[in-house]
Amino acid sequence: MKRSIASVLRSQSTTLVAIIVVGTVLLGIASSGNFFSPIPFRTFFQFLAVPILIGLAQMITVAVGQLNLAVGAIGGVAAALSAVMMADAGVPVWLGAVVPLVVGTLAGLVNGWLVVLTRINGFIVTLATMTILLGAQYALVSTRTVSAANWAPLADIGKATVFGLPVIFLVSVVVAILVALAFRYTVTGRSLLASGDNPEAARLAGISNDRSVIVAHAASGLLCGVAALVSIASLPGINQSVGGDWLLPSFAAPIIGGVALTGGSVAVLGTVLAATVVRLVDTARAEFQLAPAWVNFVIGAVVLGTVALGRVRQVRQERRLGAERAREASSTAILEKTR
Amino acid sequence: MRSAIRAQLTTPRFLLFVIIVVLVAVIVALKPSFLNGAFVLAPLITSIAIFTVVGLAQMVVLSIGHMNIAVGNMAAFGAMISGISFDLFGLPLVAGIAAGLVGGGLIGALTGWIIARTGVNSFIVTLAMSFALLGLVPTVYSALSTGSAFVVKPAGFDALGRDSFADVCQFGYCGPAAIPVMVVPVIVVMVLVAVLYTKTRVGRELLLTGSSVKAAEFSGIPTSRRIVLAHTLSGVLAALAGILLATSIGSFTPSIGDEFMLQSFVGPILGGTLLAGGYVSVTGTLLGITLTLVIRKGLELFGVGIETLNVLLGVILLIALSADRVREIRLRKGRTPDASAPPPSDPARSADRSTEEVPA
Repeated sequence: MKRSIASVLRSQSTTLVAIIVVGTVLLGIASSGNFFSPIPFRTFFQFLAVPILIGLAQMITVAVGQLNLAVGAIGGVAAALSAVMMADAGVPVWLGAVVPLVVGTLAGLVNGWLVVLTRINGFIVTLATMTILLGAQYALVSTRTVSAANWAPLADIGKATVFGLPVIFLVSVVVAILVALAFRYTVTGRSLLASGDNPEAARLAGISNDRSVIVAHAASGLLCGVAALVSIASLPGINQSVGGDWLLPSFAAPIIGGVALTGGSVAVLGTVLAATVVRLVDTARAEFQLAPAWVNFVIGAVVLGTVALGRVRQVRQERRLGAERAREASSTAILEKTR
Repeated sequence: MRSAIRAQLTTPRFLLFVIIVVLVAVIVALKPSFLNGAFVLAPLITSIAIFTVVGLAQMVVLSIGHMNIAVGNMAAFGAMISGISFDLFGLPLVAGIAAGLVGGGLIGALTGWIIARTGVNSFIVTLAMSFALLGLVPTVYSALSTGSAFVVKPAGFDALGRDSFADVCQFGYCGPAAIPVMVVPVIVVMVLVAVLYTKTRVGRELLLTGSSVKAAEFSGIPTSRRIVLAHTLSGVLAALAGILLATSIGSFTPSIGDEFMLQSFVGPILGGTLLAGGYVSVTGTLLGITLTLVIRKGLELFGVGIETLNVLLGVILLIALSADRVREIRLRKGRTPDASAPPPSDPARSADRSTEEVPA
């Protein structure tokens, strides 16, 4: 029992919760309590939805040992296509809300399918599709901004709150819970993790690694689509910059949250908490009126630090285990000799 | 002898060369203005020169099987150091460029050191580095310069970036206006990199590290040091590309290097450099870059928008990589008889392979 409390205290999530609590208190003091008044509070959670969703989108691909450089581009195209359809083609709003989900899933399917079919490194495939999709996004909206007035009902949902919390934030939390349940209880989720952990072992256990890769990319694309939908609902308009700044946060959240980059593990709670920390950094930046570039710098440095520390910890642990094993081996050898 | 010629004719480099020639012929036939020396060819060759250096910056890390997501940001960082040395310290041209190259090299060395020390995937480390620099560079610019640009130009700055051989006259004869002066340093750099990989022990060791880290370690190569070296070189080359770009546009700005990342992969990969490491091609990188930039220039002449260009670049990258994949499979098939031979020759064989395949 004592040990489990100790391990809880040492886990990544506990550290993140502590950082969030301290950060929130400091921000509250720095803004002389203004941070806790309804409007800044709501804004904070409103703009937390997208980072959580794209962090989860990246986490799913990382779990199978892939990565998805196209998160921002998929989200951007999905949002742009839906916005243009609602504004120019007069597509009803409910249909416009479905479009990003479909576009995202399709784009993810294409990514996964290309990776499996060509056996090219997923990095390069998604780099190429990212470029293509960025071109498509620019072709769709070019330099204009499609105003949110074209989808007033959606925009209302984007502003709606339940008990002071924005609906879109609750949507992202529900999505996170669904992702966590899927990885814990469904066969597909377990096989994704198995493929990511050890493809050879997964193959021998009768799991199709190709299927895992395709499913992971498709699910990642779907989450990008949800993030696009949330952007449509919450932003004042959709233009070519939507999705442009998603890449770093999408990697930062799972990495800081404790997901192993080598695949085979997920940390939904950690990812959500890490996204919250990133959002806190951004809010603090706005509070102290620093240049937006600072956020990139801080997050880049934190990611580097997390990755390096995690690796050091892992090496130390391996060394300790090795030493233990060596001690055991030598003691058994002595036993055998005395016998 | 004949098989050697045939082998040359089936390399991706020859194919690229043919495609470029055909493409240029088609563009010239449709738009004779393509041959305008001072206004079309000179800018085209300038960007080919700059982006070839960008491609080489990626190629040296690909040679050890790593990648550098931060090429563009390292270019921006190196250029920033040069800009500061000119603007705030008033250094002469060569000293300022040297300072920038050292700056790029230090950032690259730091990246390589983190990768070698922690063993973390190069993708993640360079991604994090790229964002750290993405934050740092504009902050420094806005702190140290007015209007977010360093504009002081030392003597020879414009000559390096904008002159063509028409400005270089000797014995009453001037060179063609189509060829910018910048090609001279770039050719020197290309030759140096090619010599490194074909003639020196260190270059061989880099390639062997890329083919198989384990085999390299067993043959006594200090792989960690080679990893740091490759990333340092990448940083230096990226910084050089950034500085050259600054000389051609006339000032140092934080946006230098924004377009480098995709191109840096397209060039070497089109030219036959393997993503998995262990094989590089300097001429291939030049040809790959040339192809994409000729296409870009052609599209510009026909008035096609930038978005089509992006889509096209992505498609080219995918096709080129599928071709890369096919080539790899064929290579492996060609090697199957060897595979049944006793395995101890493995490291030696990969060393042989790199000897044969690196063009001089």
